[in-house]
Amino acid sequence: MEYIISQLINGICQGAIYALMAIGYSVVVGVTGMVTFTHGEVMMLGAFASYYVFLWAGNNLFLGIIASFAASWIVGMAVYKICYEHFFNAPRHISLICTVGFSMLLKNLAQILFGANRLPMLNIIENQVYSLGPVKINLLQIVILLVVFALAAVLSLFLNRTRAGIALRAVSQEKTAAYMVGINVRRVAMTGNCIGCGIGGVAGMLMAIYYQTCYATMGGTMSMKAFSSSVLGGMTDVRLSALGGLCIGIIENLGITFSSANFRDAFAFCFLILVLLIRPQGFAVKKGARP
Amino acid sequence: MSGLLRTEGVCCYFGGLKAVDNVDMQVEPGDIFGIIGPNGAGKTTFFNVCSGIYKPTHGKVYFCDQDISNMSQEAISHLGVGRTFQTTQLFQFMSVLENVKIGCHMGTKTNMFDAIFHTKTYRADEQYAEEKSMETLRNAGLEQYANTLAGNLSYGIQRRVEIARSLASSPKILMLDEPAAGMNRLETDALRDFLKELNAKGQTILLIEHDMKFVMNCCNRIMVLNFGEKICEGSPEFVSGNKEVQTAYFGSRTFGKDVEANAEN
Amino acid sequence: MSKIKAFVGKHRSLMLTAALVFAIVFPLFGFKKSMVRIFCRILMYFTLAGSLNITNGYSGQTSLGHAGFYCIGAYVMAILTTRFQISFWPVLLLSGIGAAVAGLIISVPTLRLKGIYLSIITLGASEVIRIIALNWEGVTGGSFGIKDIPRPTFFGFTFDSPLKFYYLFLGVAVIFLLISYRLIHSRVGRSWMSIRENELAAKSLGVRTAPAKMMNFAYGAFWAGIIGGIYAVYVQYIDSAVFSLDEGFNIMSMIIIGGQGTLIGPIVGSIVVNGLTELLRPIGVWRFVMYAALIIVMMWFRPQGLMGESNSILAGAKIKMRKAGKTGGKKEAIS
Repeated sequence: MEYIISQLINGICQGAIYALMAIGYSVVVGVTGMVTFTHGEVMMLGAFASYYVFLWAGNNLFLGIIASFAASWIVGMAVYKICYEHFFNAPRHISLICTVGFSMLLKNLAQILFGANRLPMLNIIENQVYSLGPVKINLLQIVILLVVFALAAVLSLFLNRTRAGIALRAVSQEKTAAYMVGINVRRVAMTGNCIGCGIGGVAGMLMAIYYQTCYATMGGTMSMKAFSSSVLGGMTDVRLSALGGLCIGIIENLGITFSSANFRDAFAFCFLILVLLIRPQGFAVKKGARP
Repeated sequence: MSGLLRTEGVCCYFGGLKAVDNVDMQVEPGDIFGIIGPNGAGKTTFFNVCSGIYKPTHGKVYFCDQDISNMSQEAISHLGVGRTFQTTQLFQFMSVLENVKIGCHMGTKTNMFDAIFHTKTYRADEQYAEEKSMETLRNAGLEQYANTLAGNLSYGIQRRVEIARSLASSPKILMLDEPAAGMNRLETDALRDFLKELNAKGQTILLIEHDMKFVMNCCNRIMVLNFGEKICEGSPEFVSGNKEVQTAYFGSRTFGKDVEANAEN
Repeated sequence: MSKIKAFVGKHRSLMLTAALVFAIVFPLFGFKKSMVRIFCRILMYFTLAGSLNITNGYSGQTSLGHAGFYCIGAYVMAILTTRFQISFWPVLLLSGIGAAVAGLIISVPTLRLKGIYLSIITLGASEVIRIIALNWEGVTGGSFGIKDIPRPTFFGFTFDSPLKFYYLFLGVAVIFLLISYRLIHSRVGRSWMSIRENELAAKSLGVRTAPAKMMNFAYGAFWAGIIGGIYAVYVQYIDSAVFSLDEGFNIMSMIIIGGQGTLIGPIVGSIVVNGLTELLRPIGVWRFVMYAALIIVMMWFRPQGLMGESNSILAGAKIKMRKAGKTGGKKEAIS
């Protein structure tokens, strides 16, 4: 029983990271209207940025967050320029393949620049365990949850209370109409894409801290998780995507308690396929919300 | 009960919006049946319900006395309902001939085995498709465009191609969603003659149209929809004389008379 | 370019025979073994890319997980020939069928999903297949893979040199081309293409899109499985690392570079990509960066690929009404 509870906590914690990834992903998809395969690589680069910051500036989490956010923001700009801007009026599969190509490019470049080995990211946060009765939770998990909640709150404030945020939501709902009322759709799409990527970068950093390692090929599975989570949440809805991420994290961790950890990714995929079969719109109520 | 296509109390709601509300319609074999109504009257929705794209919220749709309300679009097409769309849905990057050949899909039976080994079925089907599509093109006066990319044609011709493609599947009823939209006067007249000719050969046609003149001259029965409800049905003369139709459709009486006068010209 | 195309079109059977004779004869001119291996790779990837082209290019269902089907074919071959000593030829068929069944299963979600969701499902499925191959140690040998896969024989004739395999690959490629050509120029192929072009219209014409898509998937997967089976006996050792997502992307890059929705495209793509692989060997890992850049460049400037038609849905072309007369006229003049 205790084992299951601790797995549940692991699941929630991991699910929180997935939620952050999914938030970033659904912001990107919503605002550009195109599905991306580069998100995993963007997250990976965020993780590497924080790795080097931790290496040079010590274990300063705040600096790490800023570095990963900034690095992913810049990559996001490149992604936007290369994969989206040119293809707004073209059939979707073209930009899709373009993002696949760009993700290959980033991954292989990262392998050359950072080496193919796993780099250790040890003890960024002290390993302290608190216990509340049978429930044990360590500091790392608390910090991750706090970071995720803080970021989600900031994003939610931005989207709902600021002019730019409202413009962003308008663009993600209806580009033509947004254009009509005088919103600079391209600039807003670019900003939104970069915000999504930046959030993804932070999620990548948290992932690296959680597994205490970062490596050039970590993007693939992360991108799948981000995608699964946001599909579960109905693709473009930020809040439901976060919920989806949480679900995937919990299911994965409960799943591996009953089998081997090697099947972790297989669980997530099978769950995704099941969801798509049974309820393709995910948690979203509205039908036809699919991009 | 008779009638080729019959609806009984068909309703189609989208949330609170009653797009189609309690419509009864009966299309007899050999009719040219027109559905008219102001914008947003639910004509296209009603069409989509009949051809299986939407499922009716209540009510039933019968085709040849068979309940088709919950059938899939493909199954309904297989029963013999051919249709075109309000915005042309051509295979734009295929030639006109290829477009029409796909229309022959239902008339042929080739499966993968036949295609791989070039069996008798395959040869018969290919010949059938070739001949049938050429014949359809000839009848529709599209022969000279056979090898042109469909998307490169003018709008009026594209509409014609879409009708021809649908005809290639030898439908029992041909449903046309605003066939004359985007056509100039000459093309409209040609289309009307074409449809009448088809009808004379025994083709049942159900069409939606905005062009009053076109409908009045072309159809032998007309149904008028407004806000999703049927307000009138009958012969062109009866419909154009109906007061309710005039107020609902034409807005004001004077304006209505004007159009009426046009229609009679 | 259009003149060449017109010329080839006129003398198609002659050109094809010439190409076939050339393909049969030229490896006999004493190439080095390593060179013949490259030819084998080209032919192998041609069939593999061609089978992906069936789903991606002809029915427009962007599948990204082709490596999974390839993987299934290879493992079926490896397991059945090493464990049960069944001979090569029936197992080859089984490899194809196994992959086709997997394709059918994976295509079930496509009955409700479109576009990107389908891509993701295939990607996920390919990864699931690889994870199972990696971890189901009792059957697949786990990370050690399967060694000593026996060479195939044909009436006492053993395929034991790259040259002999070259002819095996060539035979499979030719059969694949022939069958695919016949399928595509039939009602079946037309229904696939109608789905690619406009699914709504296809349905209104009575094309049963769901079974058509399933058959399309199964057919593509079948050939991937066949190639997987031959690959297993060719290299005599397989492990799951070969069948990663990158392999899937590699196959995809070939059809994108060569041109989707054309039969000739995968040949060109395979020659270009495998040729580049050899030419760029000196720059090592940078060549993967080159591929990726090449994909992006292709998408920017020639999304239909080297051999694709510029007036196809795959080119992302927007048909312009005003130019109708001109392009239409040109097209007629050629044909």
